Amino acid sequence: MSEFTIERVKTGIPGLDELIEGGFPKGDTILVAGKAGTGKSILATQFLYNGAVTYDEAGVLVTLEEAPKMIRRNMLRFGMDLKKLEEEGKLAVVDLSPSKEATPVTIGEYPSFDLSGLEAIIMNHVKKLGAKRIVLDTLSIMAYKFKSRDILREEFFKLAAHLTDEGRTLVLTSEIPEQHDGLGVFDIEAFLASGVIVLYNEKISETSRSRSIEVLKLRGSQHSSRIHSMRITEDGIRVFPGEIGSG
Amino acid sequence: MAEKAESDEAPEDGVEDSDTMEIVLFKSDTCAFCPRAEEVVRETIETFEPGTFKLRVINVSETPEAAEEYGVFALPTVMIGNLSITGIPEPEMLMKMILGVRVTTNEV
Repeated sequence: MSEFTIERVKTGIPGLDELIEGGFPKGDTILVAGKAGTGKSILATQFLYNGAVTYDEAGVLVTLEEAPKMIRRNMLRFGMDLKKLEEEGKLAVVDLSPSKEATPVTIGEYPSFDLSGLEAIIMNHVKKLGAKRIVLDTLSIMAYKFKSRDILREEFFKLAAHLTDEGRTLVLTSEIPEQHDGLGVFDIEAFLASGVIVLYNEKISETSRSRSIEVLKLRGSQHSSRIHSMRITEDGIRVFPGEIGSG
Repeated sequence: MAEKAESDEAPEDGVEDSDTMEIVLFKSDTCAFCPRAEEVVRETIETFEPGTFKLRVINVSETPEAAEEYGVFALPTVMIGNLSITGIPEPEMLMKMILGVRVTTNEV
């Protein structure tokens, strides 16, 4: 393979790889943004699950919001048995959710901190598993956990650079607040990632909504510039490259 | 001078004396703010009677499991009881935390 060829990491999500020249560019940071309930966590988890089951690439799922117990239960509905993968050493679920009982109550914050602890925690699992895929779900929760957004912005760049070292592919999810035009609460999400995928679940009538997916940018890729239909089936997310969605 | 101990063990393992309050400092090898935070903590506890505190320093670079257990990933973080503060703490804030935990503990 030439040094100018971009190696691809297949998502294994039906229909998605067709839109992005075969997969995410290896070693890139990909942002999956969308409003609540658009399927961000499902897409990100499928990326890890398929990596472990189909492509022999172990993964690390860092949950900053939902408790692992709920994630395992919810993903089982889509045929993804995360517990089994964890037992097989193909997946690590890192629980940094607020639901942890041992987590102390933060009563103050000074603008003199970094996220080196987060990097150390994640890298510990990455090394143990030899993981090639990392998901951080969701970046947005950090805006509620910490006040110093300038520090967070800077730290996100460092974190993404270090985690994607040695060809690891990082997927970050970002929740777009209602009535918000950007891609997340920090307004730097698009700069943080070399690839941006946006999920929609728009109301198309009084009684129905339509799901769709848009590849907003992807480094070095001739990706589709259209918004495509997407469905959440019993097997997880399925993209329909031939169908144009409503966005 | 207050008692000082440095260990990477989980804090509960080291509680020996119920009158001794435990202060946990989470730091890392790469954290630029951590040395100053450690100084502030040590200077603050030195103003108390010896044996009042037990300081545990958890280096997250060496024992990330300990930080993960407590869900602490922004550094430096000082934890006293179930309260924590992130960044280089002001001594006044540490004193408030100490008093807050002491009041809570005495109420139980």
